[in-house]
Amino acid sequence: MCDIIWCKKPVGGKTCNTVNYLDPYCFWNWEGKVNCAECGTVYYIHMIQGFMYKGPEEKPGEKPDLSPLYADKPLEGYRAYLPGISGRTRPYQCLPRHIYLGKADMVKFSIRGRPTRGWRPQPPSAGIAGQFPYKWDIQALSPEVYEEYKKKLLSGKLKDW
Amino acid sequence: MAGEIRPKSKEELEEMKAPYEEYCRKAFDPGNECSKPVSLNGIRWLSCTMYIFTPHSAGNLAELGAEVIKIEIPRMGDAMRHTSPFNEAYLYPLHDTRPMTGTGFGFMNANFNKYYLSMDYHIPEMRDVFYNLVRQSDGLTELYRPGTFDRWKMSYRTLQEINPRFIYVWGGGFGYGPKVFGGSYDILAQAHAGFASITGMHDFMGGHCTKSSNWVMDWGSGTLIAYGVLAALHWRRKTGLGTMIEFSQVQTSTRFTEYAVPLYGRFGIVRQRWGNWDTQLCVHGMILCGKSDFPDAENPQDKHDARYVMVSAFQDADFKELCSVIRSKELYEKYRVCKDRVEAMAQVDIYTALEKWAADKSRSAVAKVLTDAGILASPVMNDREVYESEHYRQRGTVRWLDDPLFGDVLLQAGYSAGMLSKTPRRVNWIWRPVGADNLTIYRDLLGYPTSKIEEWYAKAWI
Repeated sequence: MCDIIWCKKPVGGKTCNTVNYLDPYCFWNWEGKVNCAECGTVYYIHMIQGFMYKGPEEKPGEKPDLSPLYADKPLEGYRAYLPGISGRTRPYQCLPRHIYLGKADMVKFSIRGRPTRGWRPQPPSAGIAGQFPYKWDIQALSPEVYEEYKKKLLSGKLKDW
Repeated sequence: MAGEIRPKSKEELEEMKAPYEEYCRKAFDPGNECSKPVSLNGIRWLSCTMYIFTPHSAGNLAELGAEVIKIEIPRMGDAMRHTSPFNEAYLYPLHDTRPMTGTGFGFMNANFNKYYLSMDYHIPEMRDVFYNLVRQSDGLTELYRPGTFDRWKMSYRTLQEINPRFIYVWGGGFGYGPKVFGGSYDILAQAHAGFASITGMHDFMGGHCTKSSNWVMDWGSGTLIAYGVLAALHWRRKTGLGTMIEFSQVQTSTRFTEYAVPLYGRFGIVRQRWGNWDTQLCVHGMILCGKSDFPDAENPQDKHDARYVMVSAFQDADFKELCSVIRSKELYEKYRVCKDRVEAMAQVDIYTALEKWAADKSRSAVAKVLTDAGILASPVMNDREVYESEHYRQRGTVRWLDDPLFGDVLLQAGYSAGMLSKTPRRVNWIWRPVGADNLTIYRDLLGYPTSKIEEWYAKAWI
């Protein structure tokens, strides 16, 4: 799923005819201005859930917020602007926006307040040939979780469900 | 009905049902499964499987007490370990050498109680080790493209020479035939064999053919294989001989299409989708109410979706009662008999009237009004509500397990597959890391020296 801005701006007596590709990570929910990779015309767009809600509308004289990732000229033998051409396209970082780069939440207690195990990093194993010890003794291997659990037990707020 | 004894009051009902209720509670005794024997005790099963479909077939046997040895790719494991809902829920570690890689919740439910062995069984150096396992086992499930195990000299025709009692299961996409090399995923099975085409709302309601969110074909196929295995075990008791089971997953989808194929055969009619309604009964569907039961909740499943109610009033007397509840005498006059109601446009008429009536009511209010009137109705519950349901708690079908490795885990699958009073199913552990049982199997079961096992490990053969 990837929307495009097909630039039809007349430039030098000819239509620009450049297809600017808006890759989904950056534009899925996005409002702002994008430049055409060929002629530099700035377009305003507003995308909601990958759907072009408003635009593209020309914004002459304004600066773009973001460049397209890639652009090509399908009517001229597929001449293309690859990612990362300064002033035209955006470099391909191979990474989604920061909000999609969440840090894993290592849950130490289940919804009823009992200790869970199996988070990372794991303590080094003493097993051989891939063998992993079966019993993760909370008290020995995760003393801080055990302490917290003891407090929960003493508070009397632990539920069975 | 003549001769039927009916309770005259709530108290009498309690009294009548009490002895049976008590009998059941005592017979099934949820929570004490481990004090009873298991039915498949003594059966050892090998599982060269991945994803859900075939692992679930072996998982069924493990829940019933068979000793299932899951053989995985060294240091990688089942591909299913690397999937998790929205890539979020992982339990660590995957393997001794990979403490920062975990196993995702996608792996859940198909792999209870198994022993985890790692082995690169396709290399000639490990073939004898594999054969030694076959000599000591009752059967195997594999999922490779047809003929792959044959090429590796591990198919039924080789293994039955080693162990004539051996039961061999191949589970995969299409099976032998013109599409023999087609692999399969659940979604392909749903799409390819007719199931998805009859799921979802009709296109005049704005619907599309729909994939069931859950991998129903994987879970269904796995369970059907388990039945096949039990039948093969019964046959072996009588004859002393093994069997080969060849199971094409897309055929499960065909099996689940009810009357569709015979209907086409006789009348040339292609079955239509009918969404939350029913093609054979009316009223027998789910309706949307105007108000959510949890309007202030943050979770959209609660905030927006807690508005659906299932209603069943297809019998004429029930429909009459339903019409009187929604105060629509005309509706009853128009569709007095079931065969008139089932007709397509009549259903549109009836469900529209029901949803209009429910438009200013909450889900629980609708369910209560209908239930009080003696009509079968139930809110469409989400997982949280299932968790909170006292009925499931008392039956033990939703319960907590203190997993030896992963701690407090909430479970539903292992105990929701029918209860056995003498030999109940059980979940002892949800899973273990890749190769967790290498030592137990290679050294204690097969008798290889530790030095040999370490050598294989260093070469990444195990």
